[in-house]
Amino acid sequence: MSIIDELESLKAETLARIADAADLAVLDAVRVEVLGKKGSLTGVLRGLGALPAEDRPAVGKASNEVRTALEQALDERKALLADVALSARVAADAIDVTLPGRKRLPGRKHLINQITDEVVDIFTGLGYAVAEGPEAELDYYNFTALNHPPTHPARSATDTFYVRDLSEEVPGQTGPVTDVLLRTHTSPVQVRVMERQKPPVYVIVPGRVYRRDIADPSHLPQFHQIEGLAVDEGITFGDLKGTLDYVCKELFGKDRKTRFRPHFFPFTEPSAEVDVSCGICAGSGCRFCKYTGWQEILGCGMVDPNVFGYVDIDPEVHTGFAFGMGVERIAALRYDIPDLRMLVEGDMRFLRQF
Amino acid sequence: MHVSMKWLKELVDVDLTVEELVDRLDMTGTAVESVRSVGEGMEGIVVGSVLVKEPHPDADKLSYCSVDVGAGEPLRIVCGATNFEAGDRVPVACVGATLPGGFTIKKTKLRGAVSEGMMCSAPELGLGGDAGGLLVLPPDTPVGMAFGEYLGQADTIIELEVTPNRPDCLSIAGVAREVAAITGKQATVPASVPAESGAPAHRAVSVEIADPDLCPRYTARLIRGVKIGPSPEWLTERVTASGARPVSNIVDITNLVMFELGQPLHAFDAATLAVRDGVAAVTVRRARNGERLTTLDGQERVLDSEMLVIADDSGAIALAGVMGGENTEVSGQTVDILLESACFEPTSTSRTSRSLGLISEASTRFERGVDPEGCVRAADRAAALMAEIAGGTVAPGVVDVYPMPAAPRELELRVSRMNAILGTDISATEAGRILAALGLGVETYNDGDTLRITVPTFRPDLEREIDFVEEVVRVWGMERVPVTLPAGRGRIGRLTAHQRWMRRIDATMRAAGLNETMTYSFVDSADLGRVRMTVPDDGLLVELVNPMSEEQAVMRTSLLPGLLRSVSYNQRRGVPDVHLYEIGTVFSTSPGRKLPREHGAVGGVMAGLWSRPGWTGDDHPLDFFDGKGVIEALAEDLSPRHFQVRPADLPWLQPGRSAEVLLDSKVAGWLGEVHPSVAAAFEADAPVVAFELDVEVLLSTARAVRTYTEVPRHPAVTLDVALVVDESVSVERVEQAIRKAGGVLLDTVRLFDVYRGLGVPEGSKSLAWALSYRVPDRTLTDEEVRPVHEKLLRKVCGAVGAELRS
Repeated sequence: MSIIDELESLKAETLARIADAADLAVLDAVRVEVLGKKGSLTGVLRGLGALPAEDRPAVGKASNEVRTALEQALDERKALLADVALSARVAADAIDVTLPGRKRLPGRKHLINQITDEVVDIFTGLGYAVAEGPEAELDYYNFTALNHPPTHPARSATDTFYVRDLSEEVPGQTGPVTDVLLRTHTSPVQVRVMERQKPPVYVIVPGRVYRRDIADPSHLPQFHQIEGLAVDEGITFGDLKGTLDYVCKELFGKDRKTRFRPHFFPFTEPSAEVDVSCGICAGSGCRFCKYTGWQEILGCGMVDPNVFGYVDIDPEVHTGFAFGMGVERIAALRYDIPDLRMLVEGDMRFLRQF
Repeated sequence: MHVSMKWLKELVDVDLTVEELVDRLDMTGTAVESVRSVGEGMEGIVVGSVLVKEPHPDADKLSYCSVDVGAGEPLRIVCGATNFEAGDRVPVACVGATLPGGFTIKKTKLRGAVSEGMMCSAPELGLGGDAGGLLVLPPDTPVGMAFGEYLGQADTIIELEVTPNRPDCLSIAGVAREVAAITGKQATVPASVPAESGAPAHRAVSVEIADPDLCPRYTARLIRGVKIGPSPEWLTERVTASGARPVSNIVDITNLVMFELGQPLHAFDAATLAVRDGVAAVTVRRARNGERLTTLDGQERVLDSEMLVIADDSGAIALAGVMGGENTEVSGQTVDILLESACFEPTSTSRTSRSLGLISEASTRFERGVDPEGCVRAADRAAALMAEIAGGTVAPGVVDVYPMPAAPRELELRVSRMNAILGTDISATEAGRILAALGLGVETYNDGDTLRITVPTFRPDLEREIDFVEEVVRVWGMERVPVTLPAGRGRIGRLTAHQRWMRRIDATMRAAGLNETMTYSFVDSADLGRVRMTVPDDGLLVELVNPMSEEQAVMRTSLLPGLLRSVSYNQRRGVPDVHLYEIGTVFSTSPGRKLPREHGAVGGVMAGLWSRPGWTGDDHPLDFFDGKGVIEALAEDLSPRHFQVRPADLPWLQPGRSAEVLLDSKVAGWLGEVHPSVAAAFEADAPVVAFELDVEVLLSTARAVRTYTEVPRHPAVTLDVALVVDESVSVERVEQAIRKAGGVLLDTVRLFDVYRGLGVPEGSKSLAWALSYRVPDRTLTDEEVRPVHEKLLRKVCGAVGAELRS
C-alpha cells in the first residue's frame, strides 16, 4: 500500500472518529492521536524520506490536504460540540420566571401628603410660593385679623382647642380662656404672610389644623388644609373661578365641572363654596353626591377689605382672593375612604395601598 | 330655618317647582339642607280619642289606655307619655301602619298587657317639635279622621341653612322677600291692625330700659280678657311645620309671628307682674350677680351682671331674648296678656345663651340681629290674632321705649369698582334692579356709575360697598362670571431650599423602605413618663385647656409614643412587619412663653422583618443596624461634613443598643432599639428599632452643592487583613487608626467580616478589612504597596492593640 493510500485510509478513519466524538475530550484525544507530535499522521510522514524524490511533492501535497481536512473537521466538530454543550447548559439553567423577584420595596408616602404635594405642585406651576405657619396660633391671627367677631361661635371652647398660655400677659377678651389656640384653619398664615410681604402675594399654605370634633368615620380632631392666597393689582372673582376650575380639573379630571355657590365666610366677600361634578355619576345624581350631582370641595372668596385693614394693604389698590380646601375631604372623595380614622392608625395594609 | 311651602306661597307667587326653587336658592347663597314632605305616608294613622287612661298594672311609668278610633272596638294601647288625659284627641298609629321613620306597628304585649297600636308624638310622625309627649290635638278634631287629612293637604318643608349674615332669612317673610328677589316676583309682608278698646295700655304698664346699650327697643302691648285654649288647626299646622310644638293659642300665636316676621315675642300673664301705683312696671336691666330665675323649662338659673333680664319690682321675670320665667308664664287661668316685642343686643344675648347652655328660637334670632323697626308690626300682628283667636280685647296704644332708634343706612356702590372686583361687565341699571328687588332703595348719581343705596334696617349685614358687590353677584349669578387666570407679573412659583430638602428627606425615608404615617399631635400626658423621656431643652409640656380626653391632653414632644402605638396597632392585627416614618411637629414651652416652641422632627420605627420569608431564603429580624442603615442613607444624601453615630445612654432605648446621631458635631437625634419595658408600656412587641431626628439640625448641616472628584482611571491594589482586637475596641476606632496610618496611597477601607470563635481568643473579635491602595496618575505595583501596607499594619496594631490574625 502506497503512502498516499495510507494517508487516505488514515483520513477516512480519522474523519469517522471525529464524527463519532461525543464530547470535547474525546475529540481532543483524536486530535493528539492523529495530528500530535507523536500522532499517526506524523508517523506516516516519517516514511517520506524513503520515497523517491520525484514522488515526494505529491505525497507532501496529499498529506497537507489530509491535515487541512482533518483540522477543518476537528474545528467544525468542536464548534458543534461546544454548541451542544452550551445548549445543554442553558437548558439546565432554565427557571420558572413566575417565581417572585428579590426586592426591598420602597416605602409609600402617606395619602394625605401625596395629595398635598400634588396640589402644591399644581400651584407652584401657576407661580405660587409655599408658605408655612405655626400650628399653635394666637387668637389674633386665627380669628381677629380674619374678621371674626368676638362672639363668633368658632371661638367657643366647644369648637376650638385652647392652649395654656405661660406668659404673664393678661389674656385678651376674645378667647374663652386664653388667646393661644391650635389653629382651626390654615388661614392665619394669610395674615402672617401679608404682614411681612407686600403685594404681589401668591402663596399656597398646606398644613395641619385642629377642631374639637370627636374622631368618627367622617371627622378627626386634626386634619389638613391647603390655603391659597393671591393679592395683586386687578385680581378678580373671575380669576378665582379660573384658578379653582383649573385646579379641580387637574385634581379630579378634565371632564369634571365646577360650580360656585354663594356662601358666607367672615374673611372673604363675596364668598363661595365650590362643588365639583360628582365623579361617580358624572352629575346625574347618586348616593355619593346625595343625589345632587355635585360634591362640595372647598370654600373661597375675595379677601375682605377688613382683612386688608389688619395688614395695612389698601383695598382700593389691591384686591385678592383666598381659598381653603380640606385634604382629607379630597382623599375621601377620590378614594371613597369609609373611615377617616384609618388615616391616623398607621396600619401598614392601609398605608401600602396608595 | 324650616320653611313650609304652603305658607311661603301665601306671601310670594312661586311658579317654580320645589326642585327648581331649591336649585335657585342654592345658587344664590341660601343653602337648602333638606326637603321633606309631610302629610304623605300617613296610612293607618287616625285621630283617636282617649276613653280611659289607667296605670299599667305592672309598670309604674306606663299607662294603659282604651282609645276610640272611630271604628270597631276601642283599641287597648300601652303608652309611656304623660302629657295627656282621658278625653284628649291624639294621633293613633293602628296595627299595620308604618311611621315615617320606617317603624311598622304590630300587635304586641308590653309588660304583659296587650297593645294594639301606638299614640304618637310629633317627631314620630315626621313632624318637627317636641318628642317629650304626645301630639295632643284640638278637642273638636273628629275622631277616626285620617291623620293625613287632619294635617290638611300635603305640604313640603324645606330646611334652609341661613348664614350668620342673614338674620332676615330667619322668617317666612324674609325668605319670601329673598325668593321674590331671586325669582323676579313681589312679596307681601303680613300685617294686621288690631281693633283697640278699653283703657290705654300705658295706664296699666310702664317700661323702663336701664341698659339701653343692651336693649335698643322694648315695646309692650296689653291684651285683656283672653281665653286660653288650644289653637285652631291652621295655627297648629303652621307652628308644627316650623318645628315648634303647639302649646296653647296665646303661645302658638307668639311663635307663629316669630316664624312669620322673625321677631321673637313673649307673652307674660299680666296678673302675675308686681304692680307699682296700679301699673305693672317692667324694667330691662342687667341681672344682679347671684340673682336667681326659674325659666320656663323649670330650671333654676343663677345669673350674673353680664346677663340682661326683664324685671318687675319682685325681681327678674324673664331672661331677655332667651327664655321667659316660670312665675309669669301664661297658664290656663291667664286672662290678661302683657305682650313683649323687643330688640336685644346680639353679643350680649349670645353670651347669655351660651353661658347658660340655653339656646332657644328667640336667642338664635336675637344673637344674629333683630330689626328694631319691626317690633311694633309684630306686636300688632300678634295682638290682632289674640283678639281674633283667643277673644281678647287689645288695649289702645303700644308702650314703646326706643332709646336707640335705628335709621336706614345711606351708602354708595361704584359700579365700575364692582366690575373691577368681579371681572364682569354688569351695567348700573342691572345692578340697581337687583338691589331694588332685595328691598333696598336705589338711586343713580349723575355720573351714571355710582348707585346711592338706602339700606333698610332689616338688612344689618349691608354696611359697606363690598356687601353690595356680593349681593349683586349672587343674584346676577356667579356662574355667569367669566373664567380668567391672574395676569400678575413678577411672581415665581417655587419651593424654598428648606422645602426642597424636606422633600428629599421624605424621599430618602421611602427609598430606605419606610412608609409614611401620621399620628395625633396630641398625646396622653402620661406618655412622656411611659416612654421615659423628659421635655427637651428643660422645657414644659404644652397643655390643652380643653382637651377631648385625657389621652389627648398635651401636645407631643416626641414622635415616638405615637409611632409605638402604630407598631402595636399593626402587631395586634397580625401585621408583624412594620416600617414606618413620620415627619411632623413636636411642641414644648417654658415659663413666660405665650406661643409654644415648634420643631420639625423625622421619626421612624421598624419591627419584624423587611419581608416575610420567601423562596429565596429567610430575611433577618430587623435590628439596630437596619435603623442605622436608614440614617446612613439619609446622611449620604444630606452630605454633612461630618457624620457620626456614637453610643449614648438614653432611658427609652435598650442599653448597649442605643446611640446618638451627630451631624457636623451637632446632636441631630437618636437611634436604637426601644427598651423592652418601654415597648411593653405601649403594648408593642420588642425588638422595635426607632429613631428621631431634629429637622433643624438636618437642614443646617445639609449641603446641596457637591464638588467633582475625578473618577479613578487606574486599578487599585486591594489587600485583605484580619485584625484581632479586644471587644472593647470599637470598629470606628480601628477604622480611624487605619485611615490615619494609611497615607496618600490608601483609597478605600471596607470592613467585610466580624468574627468571634475558634481561633480568636475569648473577649476578642476579628475584624476583616479590605484595604484598597490607589493613586490617580498610574497603576501601583505590589512592590510599592507592600511596604506601605506593612507599615500601616504596624501602626494600627500599636494604636488599637490589634494583632494580625494569621
